[in-house]
Amino acid sequence: MSEPGVTLDAPPDSTGRGRRRIAPFIVLAVTVVLVGLFWVLASSDSSKPDTAESFLLGRPAPRVVTTTLDGTPFDLSRRKGSWVVLNFFNSTCVPCKAEHPELVAFVDQQASLGLDGAEFYTVVNDDSDGAVRTWFDDNGGGWPILRDDDGTIAIGFGVAQVPETWIIDPDGIVQARYAGVTTAESLGTVLQRLRQARG
Amino acid sequence: MSWNKQVKRWPGWMVLLLVVVGLLAVGATRDTGPRTPEERVEEISKRLACPVCDGESVFESRNNASQSIRTEIAQQVAAGTVSDDEIVTFIEQRFGGKVLLVPRATGIDALVWALPAAALVCSVVGLAFAFRRWKLAADTVPDDADRALVAAALQRGEADG
Repeated sequence: MSEPGVTLDAPPDSTGRGRRRIAPFIVLAVTVVLVGLFWVLASSDSSKPDTAESFLLGRPAPRVVTTTLDGTPFDLSRRKGSWVVLNFFNSTCVPCKAEHPELVAFVDQQASLGLDGAEFYTVVNDDSDGAVRTWFDDNGGGWPILRDDDGTIAIGFGVAQVPETWIIDPDGIVQARYAGVTTAESLGTVLQRLRQARG
Repeated sequence: MSWNKQVKRWPGWMVLLLVVVGLLAVGATRDTGPRTPEERVEEISKRLACPVCDGESVFESRNNASQSIRTEIAQQVAAGTVSDDEIVTFIEQRFGGKVLLVPRATGIDALVWALPAAALVCSVVGLAFAFRRWKLAADTVPDDADRALVAAALQRGEADG
């Protein structure tokens, strides 16, 4: 006896096989992306060194030709032969003010080294002469203060925010950069290490 | 075949693709003519982000750092010895890649350009495969002639059985 209601075979269901074919590629793609992300994160430097990176490290320092607040001419290129430390400062900058006692201590420390001590200069931009002088008179710091009225010096060094401190060796080569507040101990340690490396 | 169906076949899509590519090529390479120094400074400033602001270009920002950068750009433009790209590179080297409003097409930044293009290509290829699969599935649906053939075979089977 024949079987009633024989149905036509449904079209071969390719979607199941199709999904099984595509699934490995999707897994592979997701794996590649995750491995790539892991590699990017793992290769980033998460340590917090004292000094910051800069394009200028190991290169000649930018041209700095200006005057002090008192009108005395200053040319950084004429300071070759000495270690030079430039500190970018603003009298309205709270971290700059917090850092100031450390800079006073560092300058005293360098002064005790005599001729081997580093020269220290403060660079001010977009600030009031009176406010800067008042701050230094009240809080110490008899070192030269350099004008950067048009911001050329800050731009040359890539300084967008203060405070920043830069160390330049006797050949006029930039050796270290501090982006943010630093301490006398850190500055002194790094400077000593640079001196020793130079020989 | 109607004109509507003719346009929707592959020659129509090819014409559309050629028109789009042609317009993009013209737009990317057109020469707008000589620029004044002020225009150069403005264009360069619009390519750079304020290093201390959030989301503003050097052109828009009134921040002191941005004003100093605009001054530097104006000085270099006035010197007339460097190109726009060289000035942008000068600023980028000192402030870092974060000041570039338009990412470079090298290094990890190239992913910004490569990933959308790759996604577009993958999408087009995926759509092509999907369309083909749908078409094949449509071709396996039995029509009246197929049903008549099967019905006749069943009748013969019943007669024999």
